Amino acid sequence: MNAPDRFELFLLGEGEKKITETVVNSIPNCSDFMLKKEDHTVGNLLAEHLKKDPQVMFAAYKIGHPNVPEVLLRVQTNGQINPREALVKVLKELVAAYGQLGREFQKELALRQYADQGEGSGSGGAI
Amino acid sequence: MDYDPMAMDDAESLGPVVKISQADSVRVKFELQNADISFANSLRRVMLGEIPTIAIDLVEIENNSSVLADEFIAHRLGLIPLNAEGVEHLLYSRDCDCEEYCEHCSVRLTLHARCTGYDNMSVSARDLVPVGERINQTLGTPIITDKDGTGSLILKLRPDQEIKLECIAKKGIAKEHAKWAPSAAIGFEYDPHNKLRHLDLWYESDPKAEWPPSEYAKWEEPPVEGEPFDFDAVPNHFYFNVETAGNLPPDGIVAEGIKVIQQKLAGLIHELTEGEGDGGYDGPRSPEYNSGPDTNYGYSTSYGGNGGNQSAWGGGGGTTPFGGQTSYGGGGWS
Ligand SMILES: [Zn+2]
Repeated sequence: MNAPDRFELFLLGEGEKKITETVVNSIPNCSDFMLKKEDHTVGNLLAEHLKKDPQVMFAAYKIGHPNVPEVLLRVQTNGQINPREALVKVLKELVAAYGQLGREFQKELALRQYADQGEGSGSGGAI
Repeated sequence: MDYDPMAMDDAESLGPVVKISQADSVRVKFELQNADISFANSLRRVMLGEIPTIAIDLVEIENNSSVLADEFIAHRLGLIPLNAEGVEHLLYSRDCDCEEYCEHCSVRLTLHARCTGYDNMSVSARDLVPVGERINQTLGTPIITDKDGTGSLILKLRPDQEIKLECIAKKGIAKEHAKWAPSAAIGFEYDPHNKLRHLDLWYESDPKAEWPPSEYAKWEEPPVEGEPFDFDAVPNHFYFNVETAGNLPPDGIVAEGIKVIQQKLAGLIHELTEGEGDGGYDGPRSPEYNSGPDTNYGYSTSYGGNGGNQSAWGGGGGTTPFGGQTSYGGGGWS
């Protein structure tokens, strides 16, 4: 009866910001990013790829409570770029990588359909 | 077999590589290479939970003299897969200007059956009839794939029993309710020989005999006896098996999944790079509104005919520039 609406898992609330940056003053070049209405899909992806960046010293994420759709992402850089720039860089790389994945997939699929037609079997062309 | 990651330099600047091993109307099986596990897993999660489809969400029952309770039938109706091709042109009801639902944000289906014979009668998905205006002639049509052509069984009627109802099918994602999931299941596997020891296989006496090799075991080199454990090894080959529930074609699920995750990431880029207080949007909006009006995600799908259909976003707000032709490469990000 008092369960929260399921759409609260992915719809931002009134006036809620998708992502906010809080500078961590006690640590140099470090920021916490709070991502609202996101989960491990984005949290894990960003943290893992930030760690691959040579200019990033530290990156990690946590989801404080499994029922609360918020991701806290901490990023510390080496000072050559700031955490926000590092995050944007990784985001752009990931959009490009998924774009390439999509093109690769369509290319492979087209090749496959072409091959299936060549075989003359009835299985091709169904998709 | 050139599965050595070092040998992949000829691929498009070491980006993800795909090999499809099976593709038909029910499933697509593919191998993803040159990607890390977070990349592969995010795609899997998005395909499971965040691809918009259409499912029955409201049921108004006019007459039900069957043995099943109204809410029981309503639940069964919700789970019937409906054709979701063209759902990108359907609005979410919450984003629509209408009061509750309209032809821009829903599809109406009716069901009316009465058992007039002497034998029990089956009422199935085939008997659900889409009525009224629709965005296209297939959106919201029940999926029928069985040999008899009846579709999912909804209920049975005894002689003289009757069922009469009207359903409103709406757009949604499986994160809200599993009935909106496009995939019946997504197989996801890596490291078939368990070389990385991410699995700790339980066994009675002999794990080799009790755990038959996966179908992908022959795709990778088996471990050499006495080989030292490689502590730096990470999974690099992922085997997907995307099976559709019928509402979207299996390759469409992959394409849509990629699109959804790109939209998510592009929305974040937009938020991070736009100046503060640009009054863009605040307040609840459906996920695909999150991205800025000038975002070009570069990659778009074209299942559902010749792609490039014009979208008919009723309400104003942000428009999503999908449906165009693929134009990654040069412009866009990076
Ligand atoms: Zn409406």
